[in-house]
Amino acid sequence: MDIKNNQYYKKWFKSAWTYVAGAILLSVLQIATFAVTGNPWGVSGVLANWGAWLYRAIGGSVDKWYYFSSEGAQATLEAGFLNHPGTMRNLGIIFGALLATLLASQFKIKKIKSKKQVVAAILGGLMMGYGARIAFGCNIGALYSGIASLSLSGWVFALFLGLGAIVGSKLLVKFFM
Amino acid sequence: MTEKIVDALGEACPVPLIKAQNAIKELAVGDILILQIDHSCAMKNVPEWARKEGHNVEIEEVDDGEWEIIIEKV
Amino acid sequence: MADLSNTETSSSINRDLSVRTRRQRKPKKNLIPVGIGVLVVIVIIGFLLAMKSALLGFFWLTGIGFGFILQKARFCFTASLRDPYLTGSTSLTKAVLIAFVVTTIGFTAIKYGAFIRGLPIPGQGYVVPISFATIFGAFIFGIGMVISGGCASGTLMRVGEGFYMQLLSLAFFIVGSLWGAHDFGWWKLHFMIEGKAVFLPDVFGWFFALVIQLLFIGLLYILADRWEQRGQKQG
Repeated sequence: MDIKNNQYYKKWFKSAWTYVAGAILLSVLQIATFAVTGNPWGVSGVLANWGAWLYRAIGGSVDKWYYFSSEGAQATLEAGFLNHPGTMRNLGIIFGALLATLLASQFKIKKIKSKKQVVAAILGGLMMGYGARIAFGCNIGALYSGIASLSLSGWVFALFLGLGAIVGSKLLVKFFM
Repeated sequence: MTEKIVDALGEACPVPLIKAQNAIKELAVGDILILQIDHSCAMKNVPEWARKEGHNVEIEEVDDGEWEIIIEKV
Repeated sequence: MADLSNTETSSSINRDLSVRTRRQRKPKKNLIPVGIGVLVVIVIIGFLLAMKSALLGFFWLTGIGFGFILQKARFCFTASLRDPYLTGSTSLTKAVLIAFVVTTIGFTAIKYGAFIRGLPIPGQGYVVPISFATIFGAFIFGIGMVISGGCASGTLMRVGEGFYMQLLSLAFFIVGSLWGAHDFGWWKLHFMIEGKAVFLPDVFGWFFALVIQLLFIGLLYILADRWEQRGQKQG
């Protein structure tokens, strides 16, 4: 069978889906996640734990930091990387996206093209990491899950996120293109 | 009729789209813009924008994860 | 709604074919077998995790699902906030609003279900205090996601797609998170402590909280739609 020209292969695995189809499917998974685990989807909190594990690996200690001082946070750090459900979900996102591009036969390594990209990635990463920690989450935890949890914080986050995006757009066009 | 090739390989969103928008402004009606991209999101948002503007659009997959978006200015 | 099959071409361009074909094309590789190999590895990891703990297996599986959907639909929260301003397109903004509607209804049903049974309402950890820390954090997050080309989920997805740039930004996202966690106590002491967490049903009651939120999202949808049409008229 010639799978590459099969119409269902093309429809499901080769072509992009519509944004609305994505919205509905993400919602289904969000609701399933909430129903099963009692918590909505979050991404960036896990990255703080990754940071703590790496910092420990090079000899640092986060035990005295307020953020990691709770019993729950300490227990998570003690249990380690491989026993952390959120870590598995974040790794899953990477592998799921990899799977999708491979099945579409569209995987390509995209190398960094310019110094501007390096600066943009470093600055952007730092700002997102810091911002997400003090705002209790990223576009997923604070925005999407916050709003869907009927929390006013989600809407406040959205408003200032939008303002930040406008400033970011101006910077991008001026310095990083 | 001129053909203009714009290289947006290795560029993440929204750079390919902005490059296309800037390039098409300088073209005359009937000219063709070829945008080279390897970002899967641009494969979706560039044609979407171009079709909304009323241009003719064709997408060619030139390699794994690499496309040329061919836009004829209308 | 956008065409589902964007890779199919609309052959309306009259162009000199010789110009196009003179460039030598590399023969395309078929990556599907590699994809199937990765799928097998994903399933094996899933089983190993599930044997250790069902919860780990569940998180792994949903992660795969989220990543797959984000990639296939080219879903991007960054673009939903950036594009209305930068390119005038609001199709992703509208899709995100649809996701908000569906998820709000699902979440509220689960929360209300717990409430009427007298059980503790789940997921209230996501109803967080609003303070200057929220405002400042969201603002710099907004700048960061636009210049680095992806938010947290988008960055992870693009790492899977093979972007080195996003791999670098993920590394610094982790550094930034650690930095933020380090300063968290200071923010807590100076700002968060005075912040108030507002759960809309506490203010409006369950029914009106849901109705008001859905009407507000509907209003934003209409604004987004108008915004796009306005942009088009101006050319």
